Amino acid sequence: MTPRACWDWACERTGLDRVWDALMARHIPEARGPVAWFYALGSATLFVFTLQAVTGALLAMNYVPSPDHAYDSVRFIGSQVLFGRFIRGLHHWGASAMVILVALHMLRVYFMAAYKYPREATWIVGVTLFTLVMGFSFTGYLLPWDQKAYWATMVGTSIAGQTPVIGPYMSKVLLGGAEMGAATMTRFYALHVLVLPMVTAAALGAHLFLVVWHGISEPPRRKEQGS
Amino acid sequence: MTDWHAAYRERYKKLKEAGKPFFPYAVLKDTLVAALILCVLSYLAWHFGAGLEELADPTDTTYNPRPEWYFLFLFQALKFFPGTLEAVAATLLPGLGMLILILLPFIDRGPARHPLDRPFWTILGVATLAGIGWLTWAGYRSPLTNPVVEKDPVTLQGQRLYRDLNCSYCHILGGKGGQLGPNLDKVLGNHDDAWLTKHFRDPQALSPGTGMPKLDLLDDEIHALVAYLDSLGSGPYSAEAPKLFAENCAACHTIHGKGGDTGPDLSLIGSARDKAFMRNYIADPSKMNQASSMPGFSGQLTDHQIEDLARYLSSLR
Repeated sequence: MTPRACWDWACERTGLDRVWDALMARHIPEARGPVAWFYALGSATLFVFTLQAVTGALLAMNYVPSPDHAYDSVRFIGSQVLFGRFIRGLHHWGASAMVILVALHMLRVYFMAAYKYPREATWIVGVTLFTLVMGFSFTGYLLPWDQKAYWATMVGTSIAGQTPVIGPYMSKVLLGGAEMGAATMTRFYALHVLVLPMVTAAALGAHLFLVVWHGISEPPRRKEQGS
Repeated sequence: MTDWHAAYRERYKKLKEAGKPFFPYAVLKDTLVAALILCVLSYLAWHFGAGLEELADPTDTTYNPRPEWYFLFLFQALKFFPGTLEAVAATLLPGLGMLILILLPFIDRGPARHPLDRPFWTILGVATLAGIGWLTWAGYRSPLTNPVVEKDPVTLQGQRLYRDLNCSYCHILGGKGGQLGPNLDKVLGNHDDAWLTKHFRDPQALSPGTGMPKLDLLDDEIHALVAYLDSLGSGPYSAEAPKLFAENCAACHTIHGKGGDTGPDLSLIGSARDKAFMRNYIADPSKMNQASSMPGFSGQLTDHQIEDLARYLSSLR
């Protein structure tokens, strides 16, 4: 079969050509000059998210979520696992990159008022994704179980515990009991590698669908030029 | 109100038709940016890795956690809210921020999109950014609430010994441990160094019938354990200590509503700092915190008086 025939075969069975038309061949309003680069922030965030998912999965293969073994398993990753130190480094710096990119992406949308009609829902899902990133960062911080991890999480959960009315319940749910220990760790681990990724994947799907469906917002123009 | 919606749809449709296909124009830029980010992250990961501090130690009350850099501004902002207000602000501030963000498209809903056509929102955005930037910088510069506590190596050795000997199997310290032996949180201040030294050398000789085993420790190890326990318990202070405070410290510091407000309120300082920290701080603040304007007292007070004061302050919790 020629490549052409392969392509036709695949299109007939999967609708690949229509997916290509809808995603890749779709037209977007032209952005000229440096402004055009601001439009890459969303996809950059998606890229780092994928990087976090891959490095995270690799780390999870050697990590043990219990106070007795977590610290040693992280040391093991850093000293024994092939490229372990590099992969953990990528995941660590990738976490900061996520926060920076999400913030920059949000600022682009804010200053260009791209959240306005008809993209309100895209914005709300986006803000949700922002809080999910914060959730990732908070739950992931505890996992190495070193001094920094333990005490920073202690501060974080005690702040959550001081919320008026629901605080004590929130802190109990987060910690899995009255104080920090093995239950806290498994809880944070489950949130970090199961719950948050699933919710984020769903929200991300919705966000991307809405972006493609509405079309990306155009670079704003002054009023007198007609906006 | 919504008459501009149809006009926008019409205008966007034209812009889209006159625009460019997503592939390759946008995809090319996206790929270049992703490659650049991957390079930067790889460099950081390769050269700096990801740090790993010592194993978490729940009994270590002197560790000062520093929040991740992107939470620094929030912690700095909380300093503007005194006492119980801080707890409320800690959840209300971020909550309010998120609420405004979510509701933004329903508050700002006119047709204007250019930043210069929305001066209120543009100024608000720039001001918020500047505020966060300034708070982050101030939080980074200010060691006042998060000074790095230089721990005495002997104390550190004692802390490790406490862990390695599994003392927490029988004793409670920092709210954690077994209940076979006395609760160290309660009894630590009752004994002096000499008693503790004898106790570690031969528990039976000092308190016959005790369940505490003889540990056959070296003199150095006993010394380290005593230093560690000393660093935790405040120990008894004399009736002179509150007077010392009133004479030397109250001009700037408040305890339970009495005193000046130039320096921090010390009503609960014992829950944040241990005795050794306070002894060193009173003697020479510049060593612990260069930004402090507090004078050192090592010349004015005797070592005995400073110790007394430190014990008094660490009892405030």
